[in-house]
Amino acid sequence: MSAPVTTQAKPAAAAVYVKPTALISGTFVTRDLARTRRMCEALLGLECVEPEKGVLLIRERGHRPGEKLAGQPYWVLEAREVAEIAVPQEMLNHWGVFVSSQAAVDAAFEKINAQQKEFGLGRVQKPRFRHGSYAFYFVDGDSNWWEIEYRTAELLYTSLRQKGDQVDPQAP
Amino acid sequence: MTITSIVNPDLLSHGTLECSDTPATRRFLTEFLGIDVVRPLPEAQYLSKGGPWTVVCVRVDGEQKDQGPQNRFKLAVGNAAAVDDAHAAALRHKDDYGIRRIEGVEEKNGIRSFRLQDMNKVWWEIANLTQQHYDDAFARGDYKR
Repeated sequence: MSAPVTTQAKPAAAAVYVKPTALISGTFVTRDLARTRRMCEALLGLECVEPEKGVLLIRERGHRPGEKLAGQPYWVLEAREVAEIAVPQEMLNHWGVFVSSQAAVDAAFEKINAQQKEFGLGRVQKPRFRHGSYAFYFVDGDSNWWEIEYRTAELLYTSLRQKGDQVDPQAP
Repeated sequence: MTITSIVNPDLLSHGTLECSDTPATRRFLTEFLGIDVVRPLPEAQYLSKGGPWTVVCVRVDGEQKDQGPQNRFKLAVGNAAAVDDAHAAALRHKDDYGIRRIEGVEEKNGIRSFRLQDMNKVWWEIANLTQQHYDDAFARGDYKR
């Protein structure tokens, strides 16, 4: 007689221990908050505010009352000024912004590459296609990596999230 | 005030983190942290919890580098008690989910929070934050120097 097939019991109704209302913010550090603010505003086109000394909050524009995104949820990046960067970051830890076209990516690359020194940037990579996106990366003066990215509508992160798993979640 | 900039983005769209064991990482993210996760590609999972922004979890081979506690992701929970509950759960289930470090709960200006480092050396902060907290900060403008 063959041994009975056994299956691993599933955890009871998958208890969730933390009950978040939002993935609300990401954080990074800089040695020069003024330089980071200038990059975020004049280069990346983001809105910044310094609520206290040494802290910079960053979000996309348009969320102020009366503006097109007013009342919509948004993600905040929080930068803190430090004397030294204790843990330099690498490209796979980056922050990304979406632009509206492939041409906008190319235009951004040309301008950012030309003003690399003015913004105190490190390496500015050339745009390339990868996994359905057209994008390039650059690194700022504090080892923080940034991506300027364009995706077609069907390949937006939100579109892919709605599709659900396309690969077995249990596959290694 | 109109600010001209080199890039005019539609969205601050994503952040990224690294993982090595995709299923184990997903179990921690969904069961412990309560984050929504989908896997569109063999090498990537997308993390979200409301809103159009996404954190992309990229599978890498070998040991991940330490991201450092100053580079972390913040999860908002509904109130201060939920922070304490999450902290207690982290201590209780540390070994189940491969949590490496759990810092103590702190409170500053009414925000209660703690940080933990997961199996992939990624740091998370759990705090009783709300969108209103940030709305107010942007509305107040810069501190007076």
